[in-house]
Amino acid sequence: MTPDNSDYFVAAYVAAAVVYGGYIVSLVVRARRARGRQQRQRSAGELSRTPRSEA
Amino acid sequence: MTAPPPPAAHRDRFDWLLTVAVLAVAGTMVRAIAFTPIEANQGAAQKIFYIHAPSAFVGLYIAFGLVAVAGALYLWLRDERLDRIAASSAEVGVVFTTVVLITGPIWGKPIWGTWWTWDARLTLTLFLWFVYLGYLILRGAIDDASVRARYSAVLGVLGALLVPFIHLSVYLFRTLHPMPIVLKPSSPSLPPEMLTTFFLALASFTLLFVALLRARYRLATVLDALVDEEAAEPSSMGTLRAEPLR
Repeated sequence: MTPDNSDYFVAAYVAAAVVYGGYIVSLVVRARRARGRQQRQRSAGELSRTPRSEA
Repeated sequence: MTAPPPPAAHRDRFDWLLTVAVLAVAGTMVRAIAFTPIEANQGAAQKIFYIHAPSAFVGLYIAFGLVAVAGALYLWLRDERLDRIAASSAEVGVVFTTVVLITGPIWGKPIWGTWWTWDARLTLTLFLWFVYLGYLILRGAIDDASVRARYSAVLGVLGALLVPFIHLSVYLFRTLHPMPIVLKPSSPSLPPEMLTTFFLALASFTLLFVALLRARYRLATVLDALVDEEAAEPSSMGTLRAEPLR
C-alpha cells in the first residue's frame, strides 16, 4: 500500500522555495545597495573635481 | 523634448535570465507535483527527488567543479575575472548544497525512519558544505585581493577533490543512501514519466544556477569597481567606504 507522507514532500518543497527565494532576494538587495553606493561615490567624486567657483 | 536615457544602474535592474529560470523551475515543480505519478512504495515523499537530486547535481558537480576549474585557471593566469567566477560559483554552490542537506533528511525520515545517519555519503556532503562555507569565510577574512584570490583558489581546488569521493561513496562503503539511479553506467532505473520530469528538473535547476551565477558575478564586478574607485580617489570619498569583494 502506498504510504501517506505528503507532509514531508510539502515541507521539502517549501524549504527549498524559502532557501532559493531568500537567496534571490538577498542578491537583489545587495545589488541595489551596491549600485546605489556606486552612484553616490561617483557623485561625490564629480563634486570633488568641480572647481570651487562652479560648485 | 526627449528624456535622457536612464543610467546603467536603472537599465539593468530587470534580470530576464533569472526570471526565465525561476519560471522554468516553477513549471517543472508543477509538473512534478501534479503530472508525475506517485511512486508506489515511497509515496508522495519520493517527489522530493525532483528537488534533491538536481540540486545535488548542480551544486556538487557543476558549481564546485566550476570553483575548482576557475581557481586552477586563476593560479595559472592571475586573471581577477576567474577569481570572481570562482567566488560567485562557490556562494551559489553553497546555496544549492544547503537545499540538498535540508531536503535529504526530510526525505530520509519517512523512508529510512531517521532524519540523519553518519554514513559516508551524508557525512562527506556535510563536510563539503563546511569546506565551501569556510571558503566564503576565508574570503571575508583577507583584505588583500591577490592573497585572498590565491588562498581561496587553493581551497576551492582542494575542496572539489571531495566530489568524486562523494559520488563513489555509495559504491565504496555500506550506506543508507541509495546508489545512483540515473547517473550510472547502465540505463536509468526510472519509469519514462519520472525520468522526463527529472531531466526537466535538471535542466531548469542548471538554468537557475547559470542565472544566479550571472547575477552574483555582476554584483562582484560592481563591488570590485567600488573598491577600485575608492582606491583611486581616497580623499574624496569621505564616509562612503566600499566593502571589498569577498
